[in-house]
Amino acid sequence: MDRVQQFINYYNGEPLIIQLVWIVACMLFFTTLIFIIYLKILRVKLRRNEKLITKFSKEYELLLVTYLYTESGEDGEISSEQKEVIDKLKESITNKFKREIVVLSFLKLTNEITGEMAESIYNLYANTKLKKYALAKLKSRKWDVIAGGIRELTLFHVKEAHDKVIKHVNHSKREVRKEVQLYLVNLFNFKGLNFLDDLKTPLSEWDQIQLLEELQKSEDQQIPDITAWLKSPNDYVVVFALKLAKIYNQFGMKEVLIDLLNHTSEKVRLELLPVLSYLHVLESKEVLKKDFNSRTKDEQIAIFKLLENLGETEDEPFILRHIHNSNFEIKFSALKILKDINIEKFRSFNLVPPESEFVKMVLFIENN
Amino acid sequence: MNNKLKIVLAEDNTTLSLLLKFRLEKEGYELIMAEDGKEAIEYIEQQMPDIIITDIMMPFVSGLEVISHVRNKLNLNTPIIVFSSAGQEEMVLKAFNLGANDFMGKPFSPNELVIRIKRLIG
Repeated sequence: MDRVQQFINYYNGEPLIIQLVWIVACMLFFTTLIFIIYLKILRVKLRRNEKLITKFSKEYELLLVTYLYTESGEDGEISSEQKEVIDKLKESITNKFKREIVVLSFLKLTNEITGEMAESIYNLYANTKLKKYALAKLKSRKWDVIAGGIRELTLFHVKEAHDKVIKHVNHSKREVRKEVQLYLVNLFNFKGLNFLDDLKTPLSEWDQIQLLEELQKSEDQQIPDITAWLKSPNDYVVVFALKLAKIYNQFGMKEVLIDLLNHTSEKVRLELLPVLSYLHVLESKEVLKKDFNSRTKDEQIAIFKLLENLGETEDEPFILRHIHNSNFEIKFSALKILKDINIEKFRSFNLVPPESEFVKMVLFIENN
Repeated sequence: MNNKLKIVLAEDNTTLSLLLKFRLEKEGYELIMAEDGKEAIEYIEQQMPDIIITDIMMPFVSGLEVISHVRNKLNLNTPIIVFSSAGQEEMVLKAFNLGANDFMGKPFSPNELVIRIKRLIG
C-alpha cells in the first residue's frame, strides 16, 4: 500500500506533461494486454476449430466412402447401410458448422471423380436434404450468401432449383449474376442460355469467356436460334451472340448480321466485322463500301481487315481510292489487298515512286 | 506370406485417397497412402511397390519430383500413373519425359483407373 501511496504522491507532484505521458503509457499497456489476451483466445479457438474440422472431415469422408461402396438394393433402391449413412448425415447437418464440413467433404470428391460415383454423390446430397439449406441461402439479404448457395446448387447438379435461381439473373452484384449464368449453362447447356432473353445487366468479357468454355464441354452442341439475341436491346447480349455466331458457324444468320452494320453501338459494329469476315458474308461488302466515309476510323480499319479476307477483283476501284489514305493501317491493308487481287497493278507502284515511304511499304508487302 | 501387389498412392486430397483405397483394396491390391510427395518417396524406398500413382501438384515435393527420384535416384522401372488437373498439360508432358507410364486427367472414373492399373501390372 505504501508503494501505491508513494506512486500517487510522485504522480501528483510531477508536471502536467509527465502526468499525460503516464496516462498514455498506461493506456497503451492495457490496450496491448487486451489485444494479447484476445489473440490468445482467438488462436485457441482457431486451433480447436481446426481439430474439430479434421475430426469431422475424417468422419464424414468415411461415411461418404461407405455410402459409395455399399451396394444399392434391387432397382437401385437405397440399401439399409446407405440409409444408416443418410440418417447420420441428416443428424449432423442440422448444425451449421458440421453442415459446412459435410458439403466440403462432398465437394472434395465431386471435383475429382466422374461417372456413377459422382452421380451417387449428387443423390446423397439430395437424400440428405442439404439442398434445402442451399435453397434457403437464395433468400438471404447478403449477396455473398446467395452466390454461395447458387454455386453449391451448381456443383451438386440441383436442376429443380432453376426457377428460384433464375430470379437473380439481373441481381445488382456481378458475382451473383455470374453464378446464376454458370448454374444455367452448366446444368442446362445451350437451353440455359435463355437467360439472355431477360438479361438487362452487363455481361463482362470474362463472363462471356466462362460461358463459352462451359458450353464447349456440353455433349450436345446443337445451338438454339440466336436471332433474338442478335436483336437484343442489351449490347452485351448482342456481342455475346456474335461470339456464338462465329464459334458455332452460324452461316444462316447472314441477313440479321448485315442489319447489325447499322447498330447504334460502335462496339457492336466493331465486333461484328470480324464475324462477317469469318463467315464470308460477301453481301456485307457493298453496304460497307457505300457508307465507308461516314464510319469511325476504327471501323474503317476493321473494314479493310475484312477486305483482306473477302477482297475480290470487283473491289479494286474502292481499294485504289484508299491506297494513299492518310491512315497508315488502311494504306497498308489496301496495298496488301491489291497485291492479292491484282499483282500487276500492285507492282506498278513499285516503279513509280511518288513518295519514298510508300515505295518502302510496297517493297515490304511484296517480299512478305 | 502376403502376395498382394503393392500400390503407393500419393494424393493430398484425403477423401479421394480414401475412396481409391476402398476401390483398389476391393480389387485385391495393398494400398499405401501418402499425403504428399515427401511421404511418397519414403514409402517407395521402404516398400518397393509394384506401381506408383501420384498427383502432380502436392505440398513439399511435387509429383514430378517423385517421378524423377524413382527414375534417376532409385533407378526403378516401377510403372507410374500420374493424376493431372485441367491446365496442367505442360506438367503431364514433363512427367512423361521424366518417365511416367500413363496419366489420368481429373475428374476421372475410379473404374477406369482400375483398368489402367491392370493393364500395367495385371
